[in-house]
Amino acid sequence: MVAIDPTLLTNILLIGLSGTLICLAVHFIPVGGAPAAMAQATGIGTGTVELAAGSGLVGLITASYMYAYEPLASIPLVMAAGAMGSMVMLASTMFAGGLIYAYGVAVPFASAQVKKDPITGDRQDTYISKGTQGQGLPTICFVSGIVGAALGGIGGALIYYVLVGIYGQLISATSAAAVAGVFTLGVFYVNAVVPSYGVGGTIEGVHDPKFKRVVGKDIFTSFFVSILCGLLAVLIAGGISP
Amino acid sequence: MVLDLTMSMAILALMGALATIAGCLEDLESDVGSQSNPNSQVQLAPQMGFLHRIFNKAISGEPISNGMSAVIGGTVTTVLLSQKFYPLTAIVIGAFFGAIILGIFATTSYAGRVASQTRFKQPLYMDIMRYTTPSIIGHNFIMNFCLVAIAYIQFEILGYPFTIPFLALIWGISVGAIGSSVGDVHYGGEREFQNREFGCGLNTALSGRIVRKAESGLRNSIDNVWFCAKFGGPATGIALGLTVFFSSWPTTIFGYTWKAIGVGVLIVVVLIIMNRLIELNVRHAYGPYKEEKNEKEAKA
Repeated sequence: MVAIDPTLLTNILLIGLSGTLICLAVHFIPVGGAPAAMAQATGIGTGTVELAAGSGLVGLITASYMYAYEPLASIPLVMAAGAMGSMVMLASTMFAGGLIYAYGVAVPFASAQVKKDPITGDRQDTYISKGTQGQGLPTICFVSGIVGAALGGIGGALIYYVLVGIYGQLISATSAAAVAGVFTLGVFYVNAVVPSYGVGGTIEGVHDPKFKRVVGKDIFTSFFVSILCGLLAVLIAGGISP
Repeated sequence: MVLDLTMSMAILALMGALATIAGCLEDLESDVGSQSNPNSQVQLAPQMGFLHRIFNKAISGEPISNGMSAVIGGTVTTVLLSQKFYPLTAIVIGAFFGAIILGIFATTSYAGRVASQTRFKQPLYMDIMRYTTPSIIGHNFIMNFCLVAIAYIQFEILGYPFTIPFLALIWGISVGAIGSSVGDVHYGGEREFQNREFGCGLNTALSGRIVRKAESGLRNSIDNVWFCAKFGGPATGIALGLTVFFSSWPTTIFGYTWKAIGVGVLIVVVLIIMNRLIELNVRHAYGPYKEEKNEKEAKA
């Protein structure tokens, strides 16, 4: 009989919460999928999984570096470093993407989900070109994406922090970082795929009516899936030997 | 901090430059091989009766295929480094291996995709395969080289906790995500539908009706990459360069403190403002597509 350690339970719960944060983050990021790549929908022209994982993993790099080199690396500082890396990646991507929409395809930014941008108050519907669902990245989408990236970065950093703590006691620091990094990558993908089903591949961000409709169900699902991931992470630790 | 400030900044600048080249070449590789979302139009065209001479690979989503070639490059490099190879030689050989594997996937996926379209009479052009595949391999080689070099610098010089293959995998996935989000829009939104009025927007009804005639003769993927190299590729390079540079710059200057995090947030705020300025600029320059209803009513 394996003794159930309260610390282990806390770790599993933290991984569950981190996964849920990543799932929530995906809802904030404005992804337009294939239509957006042809400037036929508002948002970034790629898939939810690609973008959430891409930005979250940059956050993972910055968080891991912070954890490795700050002797007093507290959880909040490591999580903030993860958030910063993710935000910088997504902001740079959205900014460069905006340049292409503005000067490569030559379309004004417009959201199809709201009549006026909630932040700037700019009229949106008249700027949507014929036969499309909006195009480009209006300010509300940009800001929503930044918030999403921050949440994703925080989630990824927290998983990494927890897992390095678990594996670091069993194997060398380099190996522990590698196993924790790969596992975090896995949890990222799992929690980016779950909301993809909910949002149907595309979402404009927090102002999209889809957000309110699906976020509850997705978070609920994601929490349980992430708890399962956490259980696996703890279980494989049992088989790790130096 | 492992190095002094001047050396750290020099290393950071080198990484930024490598990332810019990697981002640019990644996007151009996806344009010459026609990958990711815009490829849906290339795939759809024969079904709409538009036969074409454009390469059609789409091995997988761009982040995954680039992650794959970069991680192969990183793994081979690590093996060679453990055999006491000179680092530059190891990175070049590693990058070459990754690119060759991607080239193999490119040929099989092109042949497979076109074979699946037999009933739409889309031919498999052997000349296209013969001279586009080396271009794909070449572009991917440069991208691999830059990414594995970044991973090498981060692991060996800066002392990141992750190993070279894992860092190469993460940067491969990130560059794919950026290329798919940025440069592909130039290929999908503009180049594939260039016969429409510039700035008219792309009606969904046009799906699959891609441009098949080039400036001279029939258009192929080499023509596409020539066009996308003017804007889509460099813009992707700027995005990855900014990402690599600005994700490390605050901690390099201000150390591992909350101040560095604050500076990072400030950079993001500046980017939000710059995006807003572009938004205002294009709204002013292009104007609305439709008149506002209130105005119409006022006129009536």
